[in-house]
Amino acid sequence: MINIQDIRDTARDMLAKGEVRAVIGYRRGSRGMLAEPAFITDPEQANELVWDPTCFHNLSLYLVHDRKFLAHIRKNPNAPVAIVAKGCDARSIVVLLQEHYFKREDVYIIGVSCEGTGVVDERKLAPHLNGFQASNAAFDGDDFVFTTAEGEKRLPAREVMADRCLECRIPFPKEHNAVFGEDKTGRQLEAPFAALTRFEAQEAGARWDFWSHHFDRCIRCFACRSVCPMCYCDECVVDSITFPVTHETTAEEKANRIRWIERSATRSENITYLMTRAMHLAGRCTDCSECERACPVNIPLRLLNNKMEREAREQFGFEPGASIGGQSLVASFLDKDPGDFIR
Amino acid sequence: MSEQQVYEPRIVAFLCKWCSSAGSDLAGVSRIQYPPNATPITVPCTGAISPMYIMSAFNKGADGVLVSGCHIGDCHYIEGNFLARRKMKLIMELIEFIGVEPNRFRMSWVSAAEGAKFAQVITDFVDDLKPLGPQDKLKKAELT
Amino acid sequence: MEKILDKKHLDGWIAALAEWDVLGPVLEDGIWSYQTASGAVRLDHPNTKQSPKELAFPQREIFFKFEQIKGEPPKLTQVVPDAQRHVAFGVRPCDGRGVPRMDLVFNDHVEDNYYQARRKNVAYVGLACNKPPSPNCFCLSVGGSPVSTEGLDVQMTDLGDRYFVKAITETGKGLMTAAGKLFAEPSAADQKQVKQVHADAVAYPQRAIRNPDGVPAKLKASFKSPLWEELAQSCIGCGICTFLCPTCHCFDINDEVQSKAPLKGQRVRTWDNCQFPDFTMHSSGHNPRENTGARLRQRVAHKFQYFPENFGMPQCTGCGRCVSECPVGIDIVTVVNKVVENAG
Repeated sequence: MINIQDIRDTARDMLAKGEVRAVIGYRRGSRGMLAEPAFITDPEQANELVWDPTCFHNLSLYLVHDRKFLAHIRKNPNAPVAIVAKGCDARSIVVLLQEHYFKREDVYIIGVSCEGTGVVDERKLAPHLNGFQASNAAFDGDDFVFTTAEGEKRLPAREVMADRCLECRIPFPKEHNAVFGEDKTGRQLEAPFAALTRFEAQEAGARWDFWSHHFDRCIRCFACRSVCPMCYCDECVVDSITFPVTHETTAEEKANRIRWIERSATRSENITYLMTRAMHLAGRCTDCSECERACPVNIPLRLLNNKMEREAREQFGFEPGASIGGQSLVASFLDKDPGDFIR
Repeated sequence: MSEQQVYEPRIVAFLCKWCSSAGSDLAGVSRIQYPPNATPITVPCTGAISPMYIMSAFNKGADGVLVSGCHIGDCHYIEGNFLARRKMKLIMELIEFIGVEPNRFRMSWVSAAEGAKFAQVITDFVDDLKPLGPQDKLKKAELT
Repeated sequence: MEKILDKKHLDGWIAALAEWDVLGPVLEDGIWSYQTASGAVRLDHPNTKQSPKELAFPQREIFFKFEQIKGEPPKLTQVVPDAQRHVAFGVRPCDGRGVPRMDLVFNDHVEDNYYQARRKNVAYVGLACNKPPSPNCFCLSVGGSPVSTEGLDVQMTDLGDRYFVKAITETGKGLMTAAGKLFAEPSAADQKQVKQVHADAVAYPQRAIRNPDGVPAKLKASFKSPLWEELAQSCIGCGICTFLCPTCHCFDINDEVQSKAPLKGQRVRTWDNCQFPDFTMHSSGHNPRENTGARLRQRVAHKFQYFPENFGMPQCTGCGRCVSECPVGIDIVTVVNKVVENAG
């Protein structure tokens, strides 16, 4: 059981001593029970920090934002940033370190173990609350406790937990500077890739029907890309913002710049976008599943990323975010990589 | 489609300039007959092929996409084809995963000396693509 | 025209609207959306995930097709929106109020032909909110009400086993007379019940923007407030808030080339989004709204300052979608309250 006061004390001390310039954590938001990202620079505010089953955000995204901001104003960090990280979040940080996005000393990882549970899936929770809105959520052993207008509602975490947490293999931030909570790696609530395995049991025709239906539904709000700490490219293939323009660039050249993907949210363009994103996340996605949670139209994006994760694991023995020194999946190879598909 | 009008698949072939591209030239100068269905795009190395190119080719209407490079150990840049092997395996798995026929994507190793093999690769690919019919899953919709 | 419709006659009414493409809220893939009614329509939805704005302003629409054979003049073919009439059932009052706001944007001093061609063929059958369908509803703070009829053609109120149905426009009357026999005259008791339901609905507590009348001036004074950056610190720059919004209307126009020789393609209008980093990007690379703070300010000020300055009413209709759906909890009610409070 994690005592939130321990996290607050750590944050307060470090800010007071000037060891970190900010603490990125979670605080209570203004809409219902949901936590929201908090950026704390004043030690007095450290008491705002919370830790509950709605802390789903992968905050390592904000390390990327911070790095981009510093690059923009051409400054080097004068002190590290502390960040509250779950197991999956900490693995994301490891991937970013692997890719030299920032340095290890630039970040102070306050790890929190998800222990026997994880974060809640609002979509699974809704039917349990009979239309009532919860104002608070809390961990209690293997249960979640929700406060609603009707009183307290206790639910076994397994019933309302996100799939990613049920299938999580390592609910503990191995890479950390400080850590709270027990390491319950191997708790195995559901088999890894369970949802993926169920999906893959279908015929190709059924798989296409499923995906074409979902590809049609994408509204291209790019929440999946925006919420992903791995999608840090300055220019994404879907937008052409850094197309080099000089005084000699003609209107025709501007009009004819390469557009891999049109703005239209049609099936073919959505496929190209979502498939490219899945490829770009191969070996980098740590299954924080924020893309799937953020998606306003519920496209099961996690399946795509899980597929890549499992292929990387089974074909190449690769585990994303395993160690900082390791190479990335597509920038490395082994002699024994499968090649029997090549003619 | 009428009986006279036989379906001819359109293949986009990404060929490494150091091997397969030269191999296709050899097939040509050796007067080897093979189907004219492939549009070659020469690339500096198969390792330089982004999966985006493959998705884009399908998006623009390719019925099949071929990636052809140097045999393992022969890469001009030492390890480009090793890297390509991984990436192409992944994109192949992904395409199959969403329910597209896996036969629409192919990878081969063809050296500059293997004109006959190049002709064979194209012939086989065309034969495999014909029964699949036009690719309309990933393709941009026609103007409506 | 005020009538009573037994709930079991709803499907009969819809069946009588043969000339119309009838859309109703459908729960599919875990979200509510308006879909062409096939079978029974049940109006027990909270609110749909996306607003019905796409009926008049679709996410993608083709203006014209172009074609050019080298050396010859280009050939343009206009694409005219089809004349099918659509009627959406179960439109919530906030989304109804979005309609006249979109009309102002597209039709105020110049008429947008494409918008108007669709708009004139859309009718909205509203459903009053007996209680707020979302915990983030705040329609009362933006001049609306859970029983508002603004923008609607018909208003329905749920009275348990029957609906109280009121025609608001001539189109609405037409919709009702199409199935005239199914409707009954309301009794005095029905009238009384509707009044009570409406009064209860308005009295139901909602989230609130404090002192809404003072907001435009306060926002104007807060243009340079450092608060914007602070409030937008967690913004990820996605398009959820604007794409789901019933009144966000910004668009982009692109030429989509299908083939280069012969040149063939189409000019397409798609939704655009002020929260995307490239929305205001100049071709030189300079971006006047270069951070999330400036972009958040733009969206909030557009709803609560610029639109009131131009048209005398807030553009926001208080549906709460952007609040509920923001992946990182940016809450427009809190944002407005904080900025206003800070302006003194």
